[in-house]
Amino acid sequence: MAGRLVIADGIRTPFCRMGTDLARLTADDLGRIAVDALLTRTGFDPGLVDEVIFGCVAQPAEAANLARVIALRAGIPRGTPAVTVQRNCASGLEALTQAEEKAAAGRGQVFIVGGVESMSRIPLFFSETAARRFRRMARAKSPVARLEAALHFRLRDFRPRVGLELGLTDPISGYNMGETAEVLAREWKISREDQDAFALASHRRAVAARLKLREEICPVYPTDRRSPPALTDDNGPRHDASPEGLARLKPAFDRQCGSVTPGNASQITDGAAALLVMTEERAEELGIEPLGFLAGATYAGCDPKRMGLGPLHALARLRRATGREPADADLVEINEAFAAQVLAVLKALDSKSFARDALGEDRPLGAPAREILNVNGGAIALGHPVGASGTRLVLTALHELRRRKARRALVTLCIGGGQGAAVWLERDN
Amino acid sequence: MEPIDSQPSATIPPLLRTERRDDGIRVITLNRPDSAANLLDRPLFQQLGNLLDQLETDPTIKGLVFASAKPAIFIAGADLRSLRDTASREDVERLVELGQGTMRRIAAFPAPTAAAIHGACAGGGCELALACDWRVASDHRSTRIGLPETQLGLIPAWGGCTRLTRLLGPAAAADLILKGTLLPAGQALRRGLVDAVCAPEHLTGMAVRMIIERTSRSPGRFSTLPLRRLAAPAVEWMARRRLERNGVAAHYPAPGLALSVICRGAFKSAEEGFRLEKEAIMEAASTDVCSNLIRLFFLREKASKSPDRTSLPGRLAVIGAGVMGSGIAHWFSSRGSRVVLADMNPQQVGCGMSAVSALYRKGVKRRILTDPDARRGLDRISPAADKVPLPRIELAIEAAAEKLEVKQSIFRDLENRTGPETVLATNTSALSVTTIASVCAHPERVIGMHFFNPVHRMALVEIVPGEKTDPDVTRKAMDITRAAGKIPVTVADRPGFLVNRILMPALMEAVLLFEEGASIREIDGAMTAFGMPMGPLRLLDEVGVDVAGHVAKTLAAAYPDRMRSPEILAELMRRERLGVKTGRGFYHHRGRQASPSRKTGWMRRNVPDATPRSGVEIRERILYALINEAARCLEENVVASVEDLDLAMVLGTGFAPFRGGPLRYADTVGPARIVSRLSQLAKSESKRFTPCGSLAAMAERKETFYRDPDAARPDATST
Repeated sequence: MAGRLVIADGIRTPFCRMGTDLARLTADDLGRIAVDALLTRTGFDPGLVDEVIFGCVAQPAEAANLARVIALRAGIPRGTPAVTVQRNCASGLEALTQAEEKAAAGRGQVFIVGGVESMSRIPLFFSETAARRFRRMARAKSPVARLEAALHFRLRDFRPRVGLELGLTDPISGYNMGETAEVLAREWKISREDQDAFALASHRRAVAARLKLREEICPVYPTDRRSPPALTDDNGPRHDASPEGLARLKPAFDRQCGSVTPGNASQITDGAAALLVMTEERAEELGIEPLGFLAGATYAGCDPKRMGLGPLHALARLRRATGREPADADLVEINEAFAAQVLAVLKALDSKSFARDALGEDRPLGAPAREILNVNGGAIALGHPVGASGTRLVLTALHELRRRKARRALVTLCIGGGQGAAVWLERDN
Repeated sequence: MEPIDSQPSATIPPLLRTERRDDGIRVITLNRPDSAANLLDRPLFQQLGNLLDQLETDPTIKGLVFASAKPAIFIAGADLRSLRDTASREDVERLVELGQGTMRRIAAFPAPTAAAIHGACAGGGCELALACDWRVASDHRSTRIGLPETQLGLIPAWGGCTRLTRLLGPAAAADLILKGTLLPAGQALRRGLVDAVCAPEHLTGMAVRMIIERTSRSPGRFSTLPLRRLAAPAVEWMARRRLERNGVAAHYPAPGLALSVICRGAFKSAEEGFRLEKEAIMEAASTDVCSNLIRLFFLREKASKSPDRTSLPGRLAVIGAGVMGSGIAHWFSSRGSRVVLADMNPQQVGCGMSAVSALYRKGVKRRILTDPDARRGLDRISPAADKVPLPRIELAIEAAAEKLEVKQSIFRDLENRTGPETVLATNTSALSVTTIASVCAHPERVIGMHFFNPVHRMALVEIVPGEKTDPDVTRKAMDITRAAGKIPVTVADRPGFLVNRILMPALMEAVLLFEEGASIREIDGAMTAFGMPMGPLRLLDEVGVDVAGHVAKTLAAAYPDRMRSPEILAELMRRERLGVKTGRGFYHHRGRQASPSRKTGWMRRNVPDATPRSGVEIRERILYALINEAARCLEENVVASVEDLDLAMVLGTGFAPFRGGPLRYADTVGPARIVSRLSQLAKSESKRFTPCGSLAAMAERKETFYRDPDAARPDATST
């Protein structure tokens, strides 16, 4: 395969639960903060950047081509193009792999890539019928006609449709993401207790890793009177997480027999992350010490109703493409959309029948040991700002490789709508 | 430039050109050669007069459009030099008549007229536009329209007061003229000062359209103007009360004169109005206030003339996110520079960013900035809470705590983190630049750039080269300061530099007077009556008792023979009474209100024979201490010239501008008189009043600080 892509450095904002510290900032604010902090911390000349690529799921209506808005606000020269990409939960990873593809195709050497999501700011919508009535009123020529048009409104027209809910529902199957997790929990027999135990471990690991995580976080300065002057940490991880506390929560999606609760699902969060990436050749020219390398990436599709198993399909493809076994990894990051989903993935990774029937492989991929899986906690504790998570996983994995002086990391995500993504990261130690 | 009035008109190049359009409209374009500005002076009026002679009799002309060929200036106003140099009353009178006459001819021109305003349109330029039937302004940033004459101690006397009143009514006219504000195009349209706003490219076309389409000159049928005119007496009463209350009336005659012209002229014929204008400006122009304000205006112009507007740094770093650091970061970012605002502690960076953001919000609230402007400005600041690399940075300004070791370690570190081209500046107010630079491998890169608090309002920056500073670095620091819209004054690297050193003896004198029994009201009252924007004790509260105490200590160490830090300051610091920032000092501060502290007995020394002080004595002790120190600075070459010193004191401390600065005021009183009073005080009070050598010598020789003879009026008594 083509040369590896150098990841020179990266940074992210703290991840904060929806409606908390970052809620007053828009997606472009968050993205700008991350890109600006990346440039400030590296001292890198923005004039050398060939393109800016940002992933975002719920792209704000007021900042069309969000990446361009972020780039200009962060001081990237006007002549540098920017593109926004969307692959649902892997949008932040898509930005990175697109940079790799562009570099391989010779269309640019240096990129700023990243992902951002302000889930607090996902808007509420009017229904189609309401919109039609508003249009009719706007077109009315006389006050009488306007009044007549206004009389057509019904109370239900003013009931908003929640954008967040719409975004998290798969339009093909009609299942929302939590319901797809319930499917996996049923089919792979994942108990509520196992899910809660997994969630608890995620919180404990994230709390313990607080100082380590600061190495990848740039402080955010909210500048309004109500917030503290500087936010330096994620606010998702709970010091007081306990098995009893988690057990008390009610299932959110299947209220009677379900097992997926807000406690063992990823948190809805605001945040942004950005990476400075370039070809190996350019990095050498500029004398840049790489944080790590991207050495192979795949995406694969699967049943939208079981989107949680996406990583298996992607990993199988990645093994075929690179010839490298998942067991070669020193670290593994599986994005924790839901505890049930991660546990199902782990079970399926070891399943011979699944490998044979669903993946067409003669041997299973092999599940990683829990000691090297999501060692600093995952989205259940840190949060899952959907567009930013892909970038965050790469950043977290590379920093951990550096700290452990380890060589390889495998990063994989399930993607709403029935896809999976998997990438190999390396460090030359 | 040479004086223009003495030259024969044959040698003067054409200052305007005309273009005949097919539709019968003439476009008169003002274009002064070899200058960025158009000015109204005698030669221009002459040429314009000649042109009007021809055009008035030409029946084919359907209209006139006045335009400018300059990229950012329509007409900057009257040529003030003719007011400064020609002191004679007759000259001023003739100039006023010439201007009024020309404007009258434009107003009475047989065909319709329009002004196509792009760029600054101030004073006389605005009066010319007012004489036209229509005014069209470009929506460009540089377009600013208004009558700022009162700010220079003058009044709009080329028909401005009269015509603006007739256009907008007395209330709106008084508001514009008394404040002297220059309005951007949008606001000018909203207030009715202009009739249309459009893109600069469409300007002439729009002006022509106004002439062709709207031939009627009368105001609309439903105009409330006659009604508004009835309000003139009420407007006058209210505005005069405001002038009296904020102390303007006592020291600045021009606003009051303008007000009379506006409100009395409202009920009279235009001709009568012009006559009132003439009388008023003759009175205003003959005052010292006016000549002092005009002198300062020229000093300021000279000091801020930038050879090269491009020297605004693209990127700079500010180390230290306290009050000064965030103020400097805000200022440069608002001008277009990208700023790294660094501090070691993220909480402190956050407070700094909040301060910057508050300044931007204030700018939006005051309509100086639009929301996108403010956001773009804030986006230009990159906060940094750890030691980030600083490549490609043209200027790094240190604004950390006033501790020598702290500053030295910052500079050692900055040297390593920046490129060799970066100018390293310290914003110290009291430490020696040479000493700070002594730890650097390249002290030639280090310089002092002393901004004043609050940065966005104080125009002065003291540029302090250290012993080893490269002259190129000094030049670059000056250029950057000018490009950022501030006014640099070079001062020597002596304790307290210039402004603080001169100010501090006055503040300390005020504190000593207070210790000896004078009340806060007496002391501050005496100085505000003199014309200071605030009294010395109030100023101490604003600056911060701790900050002032720190400077006082530095100065006391440097000049032990005449300066000492009063114990009161130490006592106030011990009790956390630091002024505005802690809510209490000499005053109690509640929001923006301040009232003198009532219980002050504990602050005073026990002086049983405390005699009540008269206002005159208070004023003399404070001012003469200040003047004495100023003379010493001049003697020690802390500053290059008398003019620089006066400019720095007016800009840096708000020293009553109409007095022209401390040395100009000293000339007014007469050095001899000051020396004799100082000697008296030295005998009766303390040796600290001993007049300095040069001042004594000057008194001996009957000289003055300024050379021009009319500045010195030994017999003039101060008010």
